[in-house]
Amino acid sequence: MRSGVAAGHRGYFHEAVLYRSEQDLLDVAVPFLRGGVEAGEPTIVALGDGNAALVRDAMPEAVPALSFLGGDVYARPATAIKSYRRLLADHVAAGARQIRIIGEVPPTALGSTWDWWARYESAINYAYDDYPVWSMCAYDAMNTRGAVLDDVIRTHPRTATPDGHVANDRYTPPPRFLGERRPVEVDPIQLQPPALALTDPSPGAARRAIHDLDPGLAPDDLDGLLIAVSEVVTNGLRHGRPPVRVRYWAAPDRIVVTVHDGGSGPTDPFAGLLPAASGGGGLGLWLSHQLCNHVALDHSGDGFRVRLTAGNPHTPR
Amino acid sequence: MGSYGVVEEASGGGRHDHLCWAYEDRAALAGQVVGFLSEGLAAGQRVCYAAADATDPIARRLREIDGFTEAEERGAASVVPADSVYEPDTVIDPYEQVRIYAALTDAALAAGLAGLRVAADATALVRTPAQVDAFARCEHLIDRYMVDRPYAALCAYDRAALTDFTVAQLVCMHPLANTDVGLFRLHACPPADGAAALAGELDMTTEVLFPLALDRADLRPTAGRLVFDARELRFIDYHSVLDVADYARRRDATAVLRTSSRGASHLADLLGVDSVIVESAG
Repeated sequence: MRSGVAAGHRGYFHEAVLYRSEQDLLDVAVPFLRGGVEAGEPTIVALGDGNAALVRDAMPEAVPALSFLGGDVYARPATAIKSYRRLLADHVAAGARQIRIIGEVPPTALGSTWDWWARYESAINYAYDDYPVWSMCAYDAMNTRGAVLDDVIRTHPRTATPDGHVANDRYTPPPRFLGERRPVEVDPIQLQPPALALTDPSPGAARRAIHDLDPGLAPDDLDGLLIAVSEVVTNGLRHGRPPVRVRYWAAPDRIVVTVHDGGSGPTDPFAGLLPAASGGGGLGLWLSHQLCNHVALDHSGDGFRVRLTAGNPHTPR
Repeated sequence: MGSYGVVEEASGGGRHDHLCWAYEDRAALAGQVVGFLSEGLAAGQRVCYAAADATDPIARRLREIDGFTEAEERGAASVVPADSVYEPDTVIDPYEQVRIYAALTDAALAAGLAGLRVAADATALVRTPAQVDAFARCEHLIDRYMVDRPYAALCAYDRAALTDFTVAQLVCMHPLANTDVGLFRLHACPPADGAAALAGELDMTTEVLFPLALDRADLRPTAGRLVFDARELRFIDYHSVLDVADYARRRDATAVLRTSSRGASHLADLLGVDSVIVESAG
């Protein structure tokens, strides 16, 4: 039997917390966490350092019973989904009847890379629904831009407040939300002509161009981009509609690559965030989401565009 | 000349070289065969050229080499028609071919020579898919034999007479070739280094060729491990990692990719395939 407001619910009970002050956050978080501890449920805190410290100070007696995850869990959306699914499966295998989690994406996720975190918040309604998990996703309503908060409301079925739990009537089911065209912020270096543009390159030629442009990225970033570009170009050649156009931009701290074809892109709305069950290029896109520091998908009127960023994707707004 | 790569000259290598020469015109091939066999003569090896046919001008070019005719007379050099070495229009037995070349190498050593060096135009032997399959298998078996025996070979194929796919199937089984067609190589290596060496790049352009090459190499695991010396493997995509995993699984083995490529390691981790492990080759 699940405890608390999620009692009787099957699968994922996904709530947003839009707090306006530290006290506001604590008024929701502390009873939530305390309830989990008292019910003997695995109770996990995946907040950033500041808010995690706030929680520790507010309920020192419960700290030994809480699991604190480091911020690394939110390094990339696809990685977070994989890590959480493994964690949830382990708890269920160990007999947990419910797992409680309060978490927050890092502040950098609310900037130029928000589009893939918006997709994450939507996709997890499906990705975690195999497990009896009740989670709260905390957002600072005072310091988060409106477009982000709008996506938060549309991707969380409920909002938790100090006064109770309310259904979000603007909640949009994942297939519909993920099927919409997401606004992708232009990286400022894209305002310059590309350093290189290739049409219908072989995957090998698309990879070699990256070596030529490398400004000295960290080896893992460079290797990840090589795999991602190879996979996305392969998808374009194999599943897209020609021509496949690849454009490259380089700055001292990053390489940005766009791959465009005239097709409509993957039909699977979860493509990139979850491994594809079969064919269609979904596994390559899923790997790319784990190996690049940002992947943006753009289903524009003139085809399908994937933008891959290696290095620092957090461009100033 | 290194142990793997694209070469512009057939000469300049060692006593174990195994080269694939996909030629556009026979005149250009002639220069390579002459250089390759001259080097063998100078090194004291028994040299042999298996000519494409009776009109093959390379035979005449060889006899213009200083000492070639004299070497022919004392049994250190020969020019034979290819159909005396290989039965035309038949599918060779790869194991029998290796036994023949091993015996010829032993005979050369017994005669006091430094080993055997053969150049052969094998175009006529790879006209059908069955012939290509058998020949590609033979190329790997020969490659394995050559690793530590004083036998060197130049295998010439006429590009104009064969499809690109046929040429690629043959090139990829050689450590050295005059072309990068096929992008990757699966070749023999010293047993201490692994069951075979993988080099070059593996991606969608090799997705048909790579599983074929693996099957033809018919590698055997040692103590449940199928070790690939992949130090020269510059790129591997996830399809190819899964190909290696499947290949190892069918042999009840764990594949070990010894490589300095972090990409292979990332992919194996992300895919979570338990029949492939990646070890750092430093």
